[in-house]
Amino acid sequence: MSRRLIALFVLVPHLALADESIAEQPADEASDQLPDQSVGASIGIAGGGRVTPGGLRLSGHYLYQLSAQDWFDGTASFTFGGGGAECFRDRMDYVICDHGFADGRGLEVIAAVRRYFAAQGKFRPFARLGVGVSVVRFGDDDVTGIAIPLHLGGGVRANVAEQVAVVAQAELVAGIGRFDRGMGTEPQLGIAVTAGAEFRLP
Amino acid sequence: MRALILLALLVGACGDDHVSRTLGARCDRPDDCADRCLAPSADYPGGLCTVDCFSSGDCPDGAQCIESEGGVCLYACREPRDCEFLGPGWSCKAEPLRSDQTQQVLVCRGD
Repeated sequence: MSRRLIALFVLVPHLALADESIAEQPADEASDQLPDQSVGASIGIAGGGRVTPGGLRLSGHYLYQLSAQDWFDGTASFTFGGGGAECFRDRMDYVICDHGFADGRGLEVIAAVRRYFAAQGKFRPFARLGVGVSVVRFGDDDVTGIAIPLHLGGGVRANVAEQVAVVAQAELVAGIGRFDRGMGTEPQLGIAVTAGAEFRLP
Repeated sequence: MRALILLALLVGACGDDHVSRTLGARCDRPDDCADRCLAPSADYPGGLCTVDCFSSGDCPDGAQCIESEGGVCLYACREPRDCEFLGPGWSCKAEPLRSDQTQQVLVCRGD
C-alpha cells in the first residue's frame, strides 16, 4: 500500500508537469492559429501592359473564416501607374493601346478565397483564387474600361504578435475588359506582388 | 511563377509590329501621334503618324528621311507590295533624301 502511495506521490507531480506541457502546446500553436476574422492592408507593385494597369498597388483586405482551411478574402485594390498617351489607330482603323508595364490606373473589388496549407515553421502558405470587377483608366488616352479579372496566386503568412501577422503574396491576373473609344473588348493580363499586415478582429 | 511571368511577357509582346504612334498609325490630328500627323490626303491615304527629321538617322528602323513636308520619315520599300500593309492607295515611289536631295530613295507614299 505504502509503495502505491509513494508511487502516487512521485507520479502526480510528473502528471501535473505533463498537463502543463500539454497546456503550453496550444499556446505555441496559437502563434500560428488563424483568426476567424481579420483586416489587413498591403502595398506592392502591379505589372500590366497594353490595357492592364500597373504601378503602385495598395490594397485593403477583410478576411472571414469559411471552413477549416478556407477564408473569404474581400479586397479593394488601387493601382497607381504613370505613362503617357500610347493608343493609336492601326491601318485597319482599330484602336490599339500599347501601354507599358507600369501605366494606367485602376480600382478593383475582389471576392477571393484563401486556402491555407500546413504550417512550415513560422510560415503558413496559402493559395488564393478570386474574381474581381475593376474600373480601368488611361487618362492621357482618354480610355476607360470595365474589366472582370480572375486572380490566381499564393503567398505566406506569419504571425509576428498575438494580434498581428505579416503576409506576402504574388498573383497572376487574367481577364477581359470592355473599353471605350471604339476599342471594344480586350484581354487583360498582369501580375502583382504585395506585402502587408493583418490584424485579428475581436 | 516563372512560367506565369513568361506568359505575361509573351502576351504583352503580341501586337502589330508594323505601325505605332511614332510611325505608321492612322491619324487626323497631331494628338493621334507621338510626334507629327500627316493628315489624310492623296499623298497619305488615311493619314500617317511620322517623325520630323533631318536625316534618316532620325527615323525609326526601316524608314527614310525624305525632303517632303520639311523632312519626314516614311517607310522604305523596294516594290509596291512592301507598302500594302498601309492600306489601299499606297505605293512605292522615289523621293529625294532630306540630307542629300540629289539622291533618291524608294518610300511608301500615296499613288
